[in-house]
Amino acid sequence: MNFTMVRRLILKDWYLQRLPIALSLLGGVAAMAVLVLGGKAGFTLGLILLVTVLVASSAISTTNLTVLERKEQTLPFVMSLPISFREYTAAKLIVILVVFLIPWSVAMGASFAVLALSPTHSQGLIPYVAIMGSEMLMSTCFIAAVGLITESQGWTITAVMIGNVAINGIGYWVAHIEGVSQYMFGPVMRWTPAAGALLFAEYASIALMLGGTFLVQSRKKDFL
Amino acid sequence: MNDVESHNDLAVHFEGVGKRYHHFALEKINLELPTGSIMGFIGPNGAGKSTTIRILMGLLHQDAGAVRVLGRNMPDEQAAAKMDIGFVSEDMRLYGAAPLRWHMEFVRSIYPRWDQPYAEELLRRFDLKPEQKIKGLSHGQRVKAALLLALARRPRLLVLDEPTTGLDPVARHEVLAELMAVLADEQRTILFSSHNTLDVEQISDQITFIDRGRIIDSDDKEIFLDRWRRLRLQLPPDGAVPKLPGVIEVGGSGRLPVLTTNRFEPAMVYACNELGATVQAVDTMTLEEIFVANVQRKRTQEEREEVTV
Repeated sequence: MNFTMVRRLILKDWYLQRLPIALSLLGGVAAMAVLVLGGKAGFTLGLILLVTVLVASSAISTTNLTVLERKEQTLPFVMSLPISFREYTAAKLIVILVVFLIPWSVAMGASFAVLALSPTHSQGLIPYVAIMGSEMLMSTCFIAAVGLITESQGWTITAVMIGNVAINGIGYWVAHIEGVSQYMFGPVMRWTPAAGALLFAEYASIALMLGGTFLVQSRKKDFL
Repeated sequence: MNDVESHNDLAVHFEGVGKRYHHFALEKINLELPTGSIMGFIGPNGAGKSTTIRILMGLLHQDAGAVRVLGRNMPDEQAAAKMDIGFVSEDMRLYGAAPLRWHMEFVRSIYPRWDQPYAEELLRRFDLKPEQKIKGLSHGQRVKAALLLALARRPRLLVLDEPTTGLDPVARHEVLAELMAVLADEQRTILFSSHNTLDVEQISDQITFIDRGRIIDSDDKEIFLDRWRRLRLQLPPDGAVPKLPGVIEVGGSGRLPVLTTNRFEPAMVYACNELGATVQAVDTMTLEEIFVANVQRKRTQEEREEVTV
C-alpha cells in the first residue's frame, strides 16, 4: 500500500469537500449553542438539530465522495494516476470517516459534557446517547459501503433512506430495551450488560462493514 | 535479437487477450507497440477500442491472455506502470469546482518528472487560464487541460482514447499540432485511438484496425497506403473480370469494373492487360477508404463463415 498516495487522495477529497465540511461544522456549532445555552427545552431542540446536521452531513459527504466520482466522470482521471483500487478505497473510507467524525466527535463530546455537568439534565441518558451516536456512525459506514461497492446513485440514495429510517426504528427499539430504558431518565449513568452489548454489536458491525468493503473492492476486476 | 530483447523494445504487448461481456467480447487481441512509435488505433464506435485501452491501463482485468506495458505485467503492476503513462480519454473529466492550477499542483505532487516550465508553455500555447475553474471551460479547453496534465508529467507512454472527439476544427488542429510537437521526442510512445481516420493519418506511423472486438489488420501506415489500390478497368465486349490474387472486392458495373486490392504491385497492371482488360486508372486510397474496405471485407468473410457453419 502506497500511503503517500493515499494521503494525497485524502487531501484532494478534503479540498473538494471543504464547503460541505465547513457547512456541517457551522450547523454543528449552531446546534450545540442551542443545546448548551437553551435550558431543558433547548437541550431537546439542540439534540434534534445535532442529529439532523449529522445525518445530513453523513448523507451529503458520503454520496459526494463515493458516487460523484463516477457520475461526474472524474473516476478515469483519478484511476489514470499511479494508484491501485485498494489505495483508492482506503483513501475514500478514511476521508469519509474523517469528514463525518469531526462534527460527530464534537457533537458527542458536547452532548456528554452537557449531560454530565449540567445539574438540570440526567446522566442516565449518556448510554442511550452513546448508543444512538454510534448508530449514526454505523449508518455512515453502511452508506459508504453501499456507495463504494455499487457506485450507483440509486443504491446509495436507498442506503441513505434505510439509514434514516433505521435511526428512528433503532432509537425507538433501544429506548424500550429493559437494560437501557430502566435507567435512562435516572440521575446516575448506568452501563448495563444490554447497553454494553448493543455498543459492542454496533462497533463490530462497523468493523465488518469497513473490512467487507475493502475486501470486495480489492477483488473487483473492472474499475471503469 | 532474442525474445527478451525484443520484448524490452515493446512499450505495449498484448498476447491473446480476451474480455467477455454479455453482449460484447474482445477476442484474441495480439498487439505490439514498439517503443518510440505512434500507433493509430482505428475502429467504429463499439468496436472495442476503449475496452482494449482500459485493459492496457489496468483499469479492466482481461479474462484471458497476457498484457505487458513498459515492461510491467498488467493489471498486477498497474500502479507502477501508470507512473510512466499519460492517459487522456474522451470520457475523462476534471474536477469542475477546482481551478486548473489546483489540478496542476495535484498532478505535480504525484509525478517527480513533472515539467513546470513545459506546463507553463502549454498553458500559453493552449491559451488556458490556470486560475479558471474547470466548470467554466469549453469542451475544447477541457480536453487541452487534460492533455496538459498528461504531457507535463513527461510520460514514456501517452495513451489517448478519442481525445479529439467533439472538438471544433480549430481546437482539433491545436491538439493535433501539440501532439505532432511531442513526436519530436523519439523515446515517447503514443497510442492514439479514434474513429476519425484523418486525425490518425496525420500523426501515426503505425495503424491498427479493430472491429467487433477483433483486430482485423495492423501494419505501418506507409505499407497500408502503398499496398491498397483501386484499379479502374474497361473490359472488352464479352470480357470477364480478371481473377487476380490480392483482389478483395470487385465493384463498378458491366464493362467498367473496379477492383480493390490490398496487395498491389505494378505487375497487376500488366496482368490485367494480358488478360484483355484495359487499366484506365490506378487510384490510391485514403486511410478512411482502406479502413471501410477492410471492415467490410472482414464482415463479409465472417458472414460467409457463419452461413457455412
